Amino acid sequence: MALVPLRYNLRNLAVRWPTTLLTVLVVAIVVACTCVLFGLVDGLEHSNAISGDPQTLVVLGKRADNETSSYFDVDKAQTIATLDGIATGPPRTDAQAAAGWPDVEGRPLAAGEIVHIPIMTRTDGSRVNLTIRGVDAASPYLRPDFQIVAGRYLRPGTRECILSPGMSRRFTGAQLGSELVVTDKETYRVVGLFTAGGSVAESEVWTGRDDVAAATNRTGSVSSMRIRAASPDAAVALIDTLSNDNRFVLKPIRESKYYADQNLTALFLTFLGSLIAVLLTIGALFAAANTMFAAVKSRTREIGTLRALGFSRPAILFSFLLEAILITTLGGLLGALLSLIASRWSFGISDFNTFTERMIQIRIGLVPLAVAIAMTLAMGIFGGLFPAIRAVRLDVIKALREL
Amino acid sequence: MGRPPAIILRQVSKEYRRDQIRIPVLSRLDLTVAEGEFLALMGPSGSGKTTLLNLIAGLDRPTSGEIIVHDLDLTRLSDSQISRWRSDHVGFIFQTYNLIPVLRADENVELPLLLTKLSRRERRQRARTALRIVGLEGREDHYPRQLSGGQEQRVAIARAIVTDPYLLVADEPTGDLDRQSAEEILNLMEQLNREFEKTIVMVTHDPNAAKRATRILHLDKGQLVDDVTRAEPSPPKVAESAASGDPPYVADLDTARRQEARL
Ligand SMILES: Nc1ncnc2c1ncn2[C@@H]1O[C@H](COP(=O)(O)OP(=O)(O)OP(=O)(O)O)[C@@H](O)[C@H]1O
Ligand SMILES: [Mg+2]
Repeated sequence: MALVPLRYNLRNLAVRWPTTLLTVLVVAIVVACTCVLFGLVDGLEHSNAISGDPQTLVVLGKRADNETSSYFDVDKAQTIATLDGIATGPPRTDAQAAAGWPDVEGRPLAAGEIVHIPIMTRTDGSRVNLTIRGVDAASPYLRPDFQIVAGRYLRPGTRECILSPGMSRRFTGAQLGSELVVTDKETYRVVGLFTAGGSVAESEVWTGRDDVAAATNRTGSVSSMRIRAASPDAAVALIDTLSNDNRFVLKPIRESKYYADQNLTALFLTFLGSLIAVLLTIGALFAAANTMFAAVKSRTREIGTLRALGFSRPAILFSFLLEAILITTLGGLLGALLSLIASRWSFGISDFNTFTERMIQIRIGLVPLAVAIAMTLAMGIFGGLFPAIRAVRLDVIKALREL
Repeated sequence: MGRPPAIILRQVSKEYRRDQIRIPVLSRLDLTVAEGEFLALMGPSGSGKTTLLNLIAGLDRPTSGEIIVHDLDLTRLSDSQISRWRSDHVGFIFQTYNLIPVLRADENVELPLLLTKLSRRERRQRARTALRIVGLEGREDHYPRQLSGGQEQRVAIARAIVTDPYLLVADEPTGDLDRQSAEEILNLMEQLNREFEKTIVMVTHDPNAAKRATRILHLDKGQLVDDVTRAEPSPPKVAESAASGDPPYVADLDTARRQEARL
């Protein structure tokens, strides 16, 4: 089949550039919004995935489902730390020592922690639940890729706290060196900023366990305990002991499973994302269709001429469809680019499991890009199809009479 | 007759239907056009000139009757066959030039060649040749809006002849042009008819334009009238210039006088 040359379409797009640009922008915004949403889902799942180490156990109270609603005696925690099969702490590097990390070399990697969730004000004035975690000496060694990126590690018992750079930006008084005010009686001074490989820890404020216990009258208990098993077999044995031994009767969960169970939020966002993607795609599809209908109308005589010269109906159909796909592809590329730029920021979203602030890095991976490509093609094909069909169905003679 | 007939219309009728109403445009029309003839079609507005031209060019189909062009019965061809035939053998010249505004002159001329098997180089070559024939050498990279009306029409003529068709159809080719440009276009068409021996059917309102043709027919109320060659049993033969070979029939005295004056 002899096709109408591509430059015919390209130049037409260039000639009516204001309309082209507008349509491209509409498509770009739609694609960018959807990409960001799916990128958030991806980021959330990623964060959950890397937060969960299968050989690390999160030990909760018997009836608790998550750390927020869990507590047990600090004595139990101390006993757990003496169990066999728990990995021991690595030697502290010079850099870690310089940043003020606690030294846990040769001691069990077990951390009894207290989780406390007050309501805080974000920099934009909105209020949200904030996770404050009172940590133990082994805590930073039990997180993936924990690093102090500014300032130093906290000193327990001195009302100091550390948090991630993303959190630091989002909360009033959370800047390095300032005082994070939770209530009149509960304040923490920010002495350092840390990252933890994008894991859930980056959404938390860390302070000493005793500091939180004192501020919230919870001395003598912990919310949960994290322990790193020395081997996969040791993990199995520890789970058995902690669940069934009369001294404990607790609920040990592999950290990977613990976070995988919390992906209700990801599920909700995926649903929301898909819904928005479909609705926006339909909207943008109409914009593309409108543009192409106008193009067909204004080029009626050209279409008649091409047909008179001998170009076939399929060639005309293809030409206009291609033009629509060109527009939406341009928009799709621009949208993907915008979302890539957006992915350099992290976003604070509410976690629907714990109703707390979560810092999520948008990840524009395969899923968001696949969604973007699918949307772009859908907009191009369905937006272009009906105008193209109109172009094809034009009667040559009537089209030639058109002025 | 010196030459075989290029176009034969037998009992051709055409009517349009608008809702329930039938609008007869052409009724039982007979016409024979010889190869190498330059026929001018005149007639009042709405008399069906464009309709007749479209039938001859295979753009439209008659309601009844036969249309035979170079021994091919157009009424028996399928849509795709007729479209193929058009691109191979018919060149179109429109009143409004109908160039593609976003394509350069040479690209416009090259357009019909995209439907052939010619290589890119051959297409370029042919487009250039066609533009040279119409006197637009050096204007290859101009866009239609950068050309005058007369130049645009010449590009359109180059596009019409680039496939070397045996039939050129022109619907009021000088209708939008000033006197001077119209003369140039008519000279060009005359040249195509004589030198390149193209059969031309041209619709025109302008008697001066019609005079350039070798025969003039009037269309009125669905009938071809004023067909001098039909009205008179033995038409007068007029000597044509040597280049045109066998003289086609001359439509009227005006044409004859003009031709004599030129000799
Ligand atoms: N598609 C159509 N549907 C209905 N009627 C039509 C259609 N096309 C043409 N006609 C009618 O057929 C008649 C002949 O039209 P045509 O265009 O052939 O005339 P014309 O001689 O070329 O006129 P003009 O000199 O104004 O160009 C007119 O009455 C016109 O209204
Ligand atoms: Mg007409």
